[in-house]
Amino acid sequence: MNRSALRRTGQLLLVPILAVCSALLVGAAIMWLFGDNPVAAYYGLWEGAFGSPRAWSTTIRKMTPLMLTGLSVAIAFKAGLFNIGASGQFIMGTVCSVAVGVNFAGLPSVVHLPLALLAGVAGGLFWGAIPGLLKVFTGAHEVIVTIMLNYIASLFAAWTVYAGGTQGQTPGPLWDSTAGAISRTPEVFVSARLPWIVAEPYRVHWGVVIALLVALLSWWIIFKTTLGFSLRTVGTNAKAARYAGMHVHGITILTMMVAGGLAGLAGAIETLGLNHRFAPEFTGGVGFDGITVALLGQTHPLGVILSAFLLGALDAGSARMQFSSGVSVDIIQVIQALVLAFVAAPMIIRQLYRIRKPSDQAESTLFSSRWGRS
Amino acid sequence: MQTKQHSILLSLALLAALILSACTAAAPAAAPTAVPQATAAPTSSVKIGLVTDVGRVNDRSFNQSAWEGVVQAATALGLQEGDGYKYIETQDSKDYADNIQQFIDADFNVIVTVGFALGEATIAAAKANPEIYFIGVDQFQGETLPNLTGLVFYEDRSGFLAGALAAQLSKTGTIASVLGTDLVPPVVAFGQGFELGAKYINPNIQVISTYHPGEISQAFTDPEWGAATAKQALDQGADVIFGAGGITGNGALQEVATAPGAGTDVFCIGVDTDQWETLPAAHPCLVSSAMKLITPAVVELINTYSADSKMTAGNYFGGAGLAPFHDFDAKIPQEVKDKLKEIATALESGSLATGYGQ
Repeated sequence: MNRSALRRTGQLLLVPILAVCSALLVGAAIMWLFGDNPVAAYYGLWEGAFGSPRAWSTTIRKMTPLMLTGLSVAIAFKAGLFNIGASGQFIMGTVCSVAVGVNFAGLPSVVHLPLALLAGVAGGLFWGAIPGLLKVFTGAHEVIVTIMLNYIASLFAAWTVYAGGTQGQTPGPLWDSTAGAISRTPEVFVSARLPWIVAEPYRVHWGVVIALLVALLSWWIIFKTTLGFSLRTVGTNAKAARYAGMHVHGITILTMMVAGGLAGLAGAIETLGLNHRFAPEFTGGVGFDGITVALLGQTHPLGVILSAFLLGALDAGSARMQFSSGVSVDIIQVIQALVLAFVAAPMIIRQLYRIRKPSDQAESTLFSSRWGRS
Repeated sequence: MQTKQHSILLSLALLAALILSACTAAAPAAAPTAVPQATAAPTSSVKIGLVTDVGRVNDRSFNQSAWEGVVQAATALGLQEGDGYKYIETQDSKDYADNIQQFIDADFNVIVTVGFALGEATIAAAKANPEIYFIGVDQFQGETLPNLTGLVFYEDRSGFLAGALAAQLSKTGTIASVLGTDLVPPVVAFGQGFELGAKYINPNIQVISTYHPGEISQAFTDPEWGAATAKQALDQGADVIFGAGGITGNGALQEVATAPGAGTDVFCIGVDTDQWETLPAAHPCLVSSAMKLITPAVVELINTYSADSKMTAGNYFGGAGLAPFHDFDAKIPQEVKDKLKEIATALESGSLATGYGQ
C-alpha cells in the first residue's frame, strides 16, 4: 500500500474512530452525572467482551449477524438507497430457513443445510425485491416501503408460529405442536444446522466464517467488478449513470434484492447456527443495528467488519458491565446512539477535532441523495 | 500543522477529563462497598441471582414481585445486596442466556429467572449446571429436572374468580377483558378463566375479550391501545373491565378510572399483583385484582432450598386468587363475597373445574 492510499485509509477511519471515542467519553460523562462509576463500567464492558475465552466467543457470536445486516444496509447505501428494511428481511430469512429446516427429514446435511441457507437468502431477497420494484415502477420511496414491510414481516412471522390460543383458531403452519400453548417452531433437524466451530459452552458456529467470506466477496463485487462500478455510479449520481448508458432501474432492483438477501442470510445463519428454532420474541434489533454498523463502517464492506466487531463487543460486554458495576445496560444503547449520531453528522466531529474535509469527495456516498426526488 | 496540533490538544484535554471524572467518581463508589464487607458475617453460603424478563426490576408487576421475594428471603438469611443477592435487568430477549451465565460464572447457587420467555434459556442452564438451583417464574416444566422449579400459577382460577365477580357486579349484562397477546399462555388462561367464570354466574352474559394484535414485544407495553380498547368496550355497554396484560392492561384500567360513573356504574379489575398497591391511578374503579402470588412462592422455594438444601423439582403451584376489595369492601354485597368464597373453596378442593384447556 503506497503513501497516498495509506493516507486515504487513515482519513476514512478518522471520523469513525473519533466518533466512537467521543461517544464513549460522553457515555462516561452521563454515567458520572448519574453517580455511576464509568471506569468500573468500562472495565466490566471490556471484561465481558474480551476478558475470557467465553467473552470472545460472545463477541464473535454477536458480531456475526451484525456483519451481514450491516452489509445489507451498506450495499444499498452504495447505490443511493436507504434500506431500513433489514429487520424485516432478517425475519423473512429466519422464517424461510426454519420452514426448510423443520421439513425434509432424512435429507443428508450436505443438501439440507445449503438448502435451508438458500431458503433464508431467498426469503430476504424476495422481501428486498418488493421495495426495489415499487420504487422503480411506482416511485414509492424505499424508506417508507421497507418500514411498512418490517411490520408485515414480524406479524407474518408471529402468525406462522401462532399456537392458536385455546379458542379453537387454526394454529400457524410452522407451530410446534408439542409446545402446548407456546407459540414457536420445532427445532430444525440436525442435518440443517450449521456445525459448531467451538461447541458448548462457547457456541461459536460456522456462521461467522460465512459472514466474513460474504463481506470479502461484497468488497470484491463493489470495487473490482463492472457491476460494482455501475452500482456506485448510480449511488453517486443516478442521472449521470443513466446518461452513461447504465441500467439504473435494473441496478436499483438488483441492489435491493442483494441487500435483502444479505439480511435474509443473517436470519438464516442466526437460526441454523444458534437458535435452532424461531419464536416471536427472537425478532430483535439486529436489523436496525445494521444501520449503525453500515454508517460507522463508512458503508465500506471491510469497515462493516470492523464496526460489527465493535458493536458486537459492546453488546457482548453489556451483561458483564451491568453485573459487575451495576450500571444499567441502557447506557450501551445511549453509546450506540451517540456513535450513530456522530458518524451520521460527521460535521460535528470535524468541527470538534478541527479535521479538514477529505480531499476526494467523489467517492463518498451521499446518504440522503435521493430523499424527496426520484 | 496548526489544525493537527489543535486536534491533539483537544483529544488530550478530553482524555484528561475522562480520567479526572473517573477518579472523582471512583472514590465515593468504593466507600459504601467496603463497609458491609467488613461487618458481614458469613451466615450463609447461599447467593441468589435474579434475571428479569425484558424490562425493569421495579416494573410493578412480575419482575418486581419476584425480586421482592428474593429480597425477603435473602434478608431473612442475612445476605447483603451485591455480594449475597443481586439482579440483572434484561434488555434484549437474545441476552437471557448471557445474563444467566453471569451468575453462574460468579458462583451464585440460586438463580431466579422471571417470565415465560426465559424458559428455554433456564432449562439449558439448569441442564449444564446441575449443582445450581434454578427457579423459573411462570415457566411450566414439561420435563422434570432435579434442579429446576417451574413456579406456575392457576391463572385460569384467578381469572375465573375475577369473571364471577364481574358478572355479579354487572348491571348491563356486558363485561369486557383487555388482554395482552394470546401468544403467551398465562394471558390466555386469565382471559379464558374470566370468560368461564362470568358464564358460570350468568350463562347469558356477553363477554367482549380483546387480545392485543401485535407482537410479544409490543403487546405488554401499549397503554394507548389498552385505553382505546377499554373505551370501545365501555361504548358497547360493558360496565366491568378486566385489564390483563402488563402496561397495556394498566392503560385499560386508567381509562375506566377516568370514565363517567367510575366506581358507581363502571368498575375495573386488575391482574397479577394487587394493583391497588401498584397502580393508584386506577383507584376510582378498581374493585379487585386477579392475582398470582409470586412473592410468597419465591420466598417459600428459596427457604426450602436454604434450610434443607433441597431443590424442588418439576412444577410448583403458587397461590392464585382475588386481591382484597380495599375501598370497595363496603360496597360489595355480602352475598357476592360469599359466592366468591364458595367458588374459591370449590376450585381449591377440585369439586369445581374452571373448564379451561378442555
